[in-house]
Amino acid sequence: MSLDASTTLAPAADALPKPLPGRDTVIQYGMALLTVVLIAAPLLPVLYQSMLDRALYDSGQQFTLSNFGRLFHTDGFGLVIWNTFVFATLTTLISQTLGTLAAVLFGRTDMPFARLFGELFLWPIYLSALVLSFGWYTIYGPAGYLTLLMQSIFDGAPWNLYSLPGMAMIAGVSQAPVAYIYCMSSASITDPTLEEAARVAGAGTLRTLSRITLPLLLPAIAYSAVLNFTVGLELLAIPLVFGDPAGITVLTTFLYNNGVASARPDHGLVATAAVLMFAVVCVLVWLQGRLLGNTRRFVTLGGKATRPRPFRLNRLRWPLCVFSAIYITATVVMPIGALLLRAFTSLLSPMVPITDVLTFSNFASMLEYPVYPRSIWNSFIVSTLGGAVATAMVGLIAIIVLRSDFRWRAPLHYVALFPRAVPGVVAGIGFFYAFALVPGLGGLRNTIWILVAAFTMHFIPVGLGAVAPMLLQMSPDFDRAARTQGADWWTTSRRIVLPLLRPALVACFIILFITFFKEYTTAIFLFAPGSEVIGTTLLQAWTQGEVGLVSALATVQVMVIGICVTAARAFLGVKLYG
Amino acid sequence: MAELLIENLHKRFGPVKAIEDVNIRVADGEFVTLLGPSGCGKSTTLGAIAGLDQPTSGRIRVGNKTYFDGDKAIFLPPEARNCGLVFQSYALWPHMTVYDNVVFPLKLRRVSTADCKRRVEESLALVEMERFQDRYPHQLSGGQQQRVALARTLVYQPEILLLDEPLSNLDAKLRDRARTWLAELRTRLGLTTIYVTHDQVEALALSDRIVVMNGGRISQIGAPQEIYTRPADSFVADFIGTTNFLNGEVVGAPGGDGQTLVSLSDGQRVLIKSDKRPSLGDKVTFAYRPEQMRLATPNDPAIGGSIIEADVVSHSYVGGRWQVGLNVGGNQIRIETQDATTDRQLRLWLPLTGGILFTERTHGKSH
Repeated sequence: MSLDASTTLAPAADALPKPLPGRDTVIQYGMALLTVVLIAAPLLPVLYQSMLDRALYDSGQQFTLSNFGRLFHTDGFGLVIWNTFVFATLTTLISQTLGTLAAVLFGRTDMPFARLFGELFLWPIYLSALVLSFGWYTIYGPAGYLTLLMQSIFDGAPWNLYSLPGMAMIAGVSQAPVAYIYCMSSASITDPTLEEAARVAGAGTLRTLSRITLPLLLPAIAYSAVLNFTVGLELLAIPLVFGDPAGITVLTTFLYNNGVASARPDHGLVATAAVLMFAVVCVLVWLQGRLLGNTRRFVTLGGKATRPRPFRLNRLRWPLCVFSAIYITATVVMPIGALLLRAFTSLLSPMVPITDVLTFSNFASMLEYPVYPRSIWNSFIVSTLGGAVATAMVGLIAIIVLRSDFRWRAPLHYVALFPRAVPGVVAGIGFFYAFALVPGLGGLRNTIWILVAAFTMHFIPVGLGAVAPMLLQMSPDFDRAARTQGADWWTTSRRIVLPLLRPALVACFIILFITFFKEYTTAIFLFAPGSEVIGTTLLQAWTQGEVGLVSALATVQVMVIGICVTAARAFLGVKLYG
Repeated sequence: MAELLIENLHKRFGPVKAIEDVNIRVADGEFVTLLGPSGCGKSTTLGAIAGLDQPTSGRIRVGNKTYFDGDKAIFLPPEARNCGLVFQSYALWPHMTVYDNVVFPLKLRRVSTADCKRRVEESLALVEMERFQDRYPHQLSGGQQQRVALARTLVYQPEILLLDEPLSNLDAKLRDRARTWLAELRTRLGLTTIYVTHDQVEALALSDRIVVMNGGRISQIGAPQEIYTRPADSFVADFIGTTNFLNGEVVGAPGGDGQTLVSLSDGQRVLIKSDKRPSLGDKVTFAYRPEQMRLATPNDPAIGGSIIEADVVSHSYVGGRWQVGLNVGGNQIRIETQDATTDRQLRLWLPLTGGILFTERTHGKSH
């Protein structure tokens, strides 16, 4: 490496780069302001309305606290609270049991087809609970395929979806993947030598499982339990499809019936119930934070990427495999399969041979009414454009919060994660009020842009979850190098950080696309003729009893999401969930 | 190119003092190394010069430009300083080719396209990487990446050059070659350079002056030879080179000839000449470099030094010579010999002059 003495650098007098003064500050403050406004938009009107004696768009309002008293004296409200609590608790119990069992069985044993079962087990998380409900209805509903089969053999089916345990079963299956994912990721960072040490010390499979593996999973189980309890409180689809006809009301359906479905909504009451729900969820989200903070006691050192040795099931391998196959078929494959099949038949019954009823008429009649193709088109627009807008916003928030010296970056981080504590129904009602309250926004009220705003606000934390890990792993030296060479923060972000972040931003877009595409809770409070999305038309068709149409629409949704998930995983290597 | 002046620099992280009262003046074109163990504050000092860390108080000035002044609340952002910083991780942007990496600072300075091309080529030629312009960083070896990182910094001719352990990610052979190369380059460029390392060999070989740091404070500033031969305290003596420490008590205070008689804990006595003047009964530490000690023959007269008995505790071949671990009254010391020895006990000759006497007590390195 000797140097040629002639090579040297000619002296040069470069002007130092002159970045636009204050540009960084303007971008950072602007983005922070936009985030705060977007997140406060639905919350402040709800709080405001809950303390008014009449609708917030009327004139002559008086501040009052009487709404709270009125709510608790409403007939049956106590029962609503009780139902909500029972439903959420049962849902949590079922999802945690199923999720933990699946994580151990599919993730940690030598059971045949464990990986395939693991993949199928995750499927409910890609679909909306609404679609899963319709799938279960097709199989286990009063005229469902298996129900009829059971009736023809025995005297009736032993299940009833129109009950709290029935609803909780569907919700449990739909939420079990969350518990599964948390247990799996906890297991994958656990040092496998902990288990090996127990075995070397003479512990058998069962003892190692119960004394080492499961206790190490406890934080994951506890954290996802709080998460699932929260989801159980916020869930609208299942209580709406199965609870309402049976007269079982929970808090979400209470809000829906009094806010959207009612001819003369009592806004004071609705807003107050929403505030109540918001407060409870706030406490639960705080509890999630506490649980995560307290997990240090269970932190396992090492964390190497070695795969732990699977537990040997020996003689139980095949029996457990058959059992798992039955479970997966009964809860995931059959409901989804039957729903898809129903879309291509005029009816689905064990008494009628399937070849007699095959038809495309469901899709034909779906295309006949303009509202259905329009809702599909709107869903595409909302998911694509909205997903892009939301991704841009999430990307900017992430680099401001994690990669800038912005003075308020810690509070901004807190605010950006706050929508986790805002249930979809509350966000829906809140945006509805916000657009009614603020003059000048009325024009947007019947367009899909109100949906884009609401979805974006509601799912900013989801997007951050997709982007933040990669940003945290990226060496800060990359930005520091650019800064010392004379690039200001925004140039550094544009030329270095954001290009490097592209894989995470793509993953974020795909996750948000899927989430927006299946979202219905927020939408049903906000849609208007012309701005329907698949979620809302699904519910409309359901209310009209058009099961064939519902199946056809659900098929479109399942297909689009299926293609997205498969393509993202196959071509982009994007890791979706876990 | 300019003079760097750091005055009364402090940096606190909450109650932790990362650097405390650091004062350094680096002349124009001087090469100064910040040397110390991890956590000594050398990287924090470098970050403060580059503008990546904001100090708590003090002043930093380069040429006539004030980078930081705690009293006047001046803090220039890194992009306004025109420093050149080469990172330990090199921080080459993985989504850009070598050319795009090196041209980036020129584009920021709105240099014309033709000039850009010429200067990138010059700069890459300087580090002998001109043939790799179209490669991506991941297609280069560690040593090549390091040179591109240097070219990217030199291309815009920064006021001062900051090097953060640039050789530490190279393997031992490559590190030797890169060090020689860097020494040649620095002589020719004559840039004011601050070099951060924990490797004393690099520091001794490259620097005009070395700043030894410990626990956020400066222990000693001096030329390499001065630091090696006259360490200011036992920390510096311990950190630079291999040093054997002996603890003892003064039993004969220095007279007019400056000779102090020290008794080790096992009663053996050593005579040492020093400009320090401890009093009778003081606890003292004295240090010898391994090359200053030798084994004494059975009838060796203790001329020009002292002879002490030492127990052999370990004995290992280190290639070409033997390393012998000894215990002298509870002090662990290490010497190197040409021949193997089977003795349980050895006699050690210590010189009268050359050893260093410290009046503060230390345990030295535990081997």
